[in-house]
Amino acid sequence: MPSSRGIRLAAAVVTVALATSACGLGSSGSSTDAGAPAPAKVGGTITLETLQLKPTFTDYMTGVIAAYEKEHPGTEVNWVDIPFQGAQEKLTADAAAGNLPDVVNLNPQFGQALEAKGLFVDMDRAAADVKPTYVPGAWSAFQVPGQQGSFALPWYLTSEVTMYNKDLFAKAGLDPQKPPATFDELLADGAKLSAAGKGAFFGIHPALENRFVTDLAKQGVPLLDASGKKWTFNTPEAVAYLQKLVDAYKGGVYPQDSLTQNHSKENEAYQSGRIGLLPSGPNFLATIKKNAADIAADTGVGPQITGPAGATNMSVMGLLVPKAGKNQGTALDFAKYLSNAQNQLAFSKIVTILPSTLESLKDPYFKAEGDTTPEGTARRISAEQIAKAKNLVPVQYDSRVTAAVIGKVQLALQGKLSPQAALDQAVEEADKITGAAG
Amino acid sequence: MTGRRWYVPWLFLLPALAVAVCFFIVPFANTAVLSFTNASTLGGGTFTGGHNYARLLHDDQFWQSVRNTLLYTAIVVPCLVVLPLLLAVLVQKRIAGIGFFRAVFYSPVVASMVVAGLIWSWLLSSDGLVNSVLRGLHLVAAPVPFLTDARLLLFSAMAMTVWKGLGYYMVVYLAALANVPRSLLEAAEVDGAGAPRRFFHVTLPLVRPTMVLVATLAAIGSAKVFAEVYTLSDGSAGPGGEARTLVYTIREVGLGLGGEAGYASAMSIVLFLGTLGLSVAVTRLNSREERA
Repeated sequence: MPSSRGIRLAAAVVTVALATSACGLGSSGSSTDAGAPAPAKVGGTITLETLQLKPTFTDYMTGVIAAYEKEHPGTEVNWVDIPFQGAQEKLTADAAAGNLPDVVNLNPQFGQALEAKGLFVDMDRAAADVKPTYVPGAWSAFQVPGQQGSFALPWYLTSEVTMYNKDLFAKAGLDPQKPPATFDELLADGAKLSAAGKGAFFGIHPALENRFVTDLAKQGVPLLDASGKKWTFNTPEAVAYLQKLVDAYKGGVYPQDSLTQNHSKENEAYQSGRIGLLPSGPNFLATIKKNAADIAADTGVGPQITGPAGATNMSVMGLLVPKAGKNQGTALDFAKYLSNAQNQLAFSKIVTILPSTLESLKDPYFKAEGDTTPEGTARRISAEQIAKAKNLVPVQYDSRVTAAVIGKVQLALQGKLSPQAALDQAVEEADKITGAAG
Repeated sequence: MTGRRWYVPWLFLLPALAVAVCFFIVPFANTAVLSFTNASTLGGGTFTGGHNYARLLHDDQFWQSVRNTLLYTAIVVPCLVVLPLLLAVLVQKRIAGIGFFRAVFYSPVVASMVVAGLIWSWLLSSDGLVNSVLRGLHLVAAPVPFLTDARLLLFSAMAMTVWKGLGYYMVVYLAALANVPRSLLEAAEVDGAGAPRRFFHVTLPLVRPTMVLVATLAAIGSAKVFAEVYTLSDGSAGPGGEARTLVYTIREVGLGLGGEAGYASAMSIVLFLGTLGLSVAVTRLNSREERA
């Protein structure tokens, strides 16, 4: 009886579908006592997951892990490294399946999306003993506006500097020893470079998704209200700044295709000598040196571009401990160890990053006296900046909010929306997403 | 016949059935269930009835995606039905070196979509080959914004889809053309029919079923278009995401740490029903014409 078989098969499919959908709807991750100090027991095996550290830092990481295991007999740390590309998808799948590693390395934006589900140990309570040893601006990067607690130990930091091509500066009649320091100077120098380049090279790349909102914050524009749900960046100051970017795009200061390109295209453009200015993390100097030695030789380094208020930004990486981890004591202990002053200082000496621990920052290494190389200059400048720097972009500015906001800014640059309308619509879209996510 | 067991055919079917159930039927059923919930990509979610579907009605981005996808289908499908047929007629001829041309026309099919996207991005960028030629010939004064104007980006992606699909459908048509009896063509020639007449009155009616198949496959492919738009636009779907297609929007809404799995599932179900409707419409249209 084919028909009855068909019915049986359909019934089986529906049953399986319902069973599966029940899995899909199941709540993710078990929750332990929210924010309670983690158990102190140290021992057993844990997994550490980092973002894109292999293979460049394999020796450093395996060295730290081996030292920890030696100091803590009976412990074992399995290190897993995942590429930045696709990290969100992997973390989503792991979190949904309740399989997050015991210690996970994330930036505040990635971390916040998971923390919105209450997945991580509150470090304000669980690591209160070591909290005073960290740079305050780095610690606060993992606080969610409108909420108590902090969901990560800050690990390594970068504080943007302004890299520039001295050869192109000279060609444009600019002083190769004087990089721009303010937004107006950046746009003015950019315009001169683009005019001199006549299409062969340009002054700057907007890299909107990476910089636009951060640049607003540096100029004192409030991004989000205290509730953490309502975006507020459609102020007259922000409109005026966007108008300057619109004029720059229309005036050919930016390459035409840069409108929709991201930060990685900006990096490529700088390394190929197609743009003269690159505001970016100093750790990028090593990449320039590796990929384009001639451009690296012509690269000068200046301080971070700032607005009238002088606010400087820092980018933070953190170490997060999921509440659902079976070996939370060891996970927390290892996260403290990996981010302690000694280990962070050693890490900072192999790449141009900064430690998030106050004690390591006092090391003479960061004064870089007598070191006139771009790396030395960048290290000195970024270490000076870090004391007053903050993570200016709230953790709620995730990939979906970014896409919504930058989409409107792109339309403004094309002249399809006025700067005021673009920012009003961007705030409206961002509110919808943050409200829905929250 | 008594030695036969009723379950033996099922045993043969089992591996394929298991794959279909695990990777198609169950995920599809799960998607259908999720579309009635407010689930996120991290799990959770409660039953919200038809809220997601009602929300679609007022979602500008969704309707923009639908419009772009329909435009994509309306332009790409006729191109992919007609152009590969003409190409197949050309390369069907038995002349020296024709194998080389067949291979060249087929090569885009085996190229990775990401590699193809990169090549097309280089070609169409403001300082790329196409703009250099256009400016060199003084046909345009300023670079044509193929990648930064949403409408041009969509047309560029369509061109890429057609370029990539030409070879595949050409092979499908070559098989159909090989089945056209030579005797019919010769009889038509004896009766004084020229090459165009033989094509339109003998060849075309005989490859019609294949054209319907190609139209159906191309329509399904166009409705699901994503990679072309994504790779050409650096993942942005153009300024303001205005060249977004339905699958692009589903990915944007449903993936990532803050993804809305329930809402994206509702969009996926709409896409499924749309694609199904399109396929049924093409098949029905053909069978009605065949009866007429």
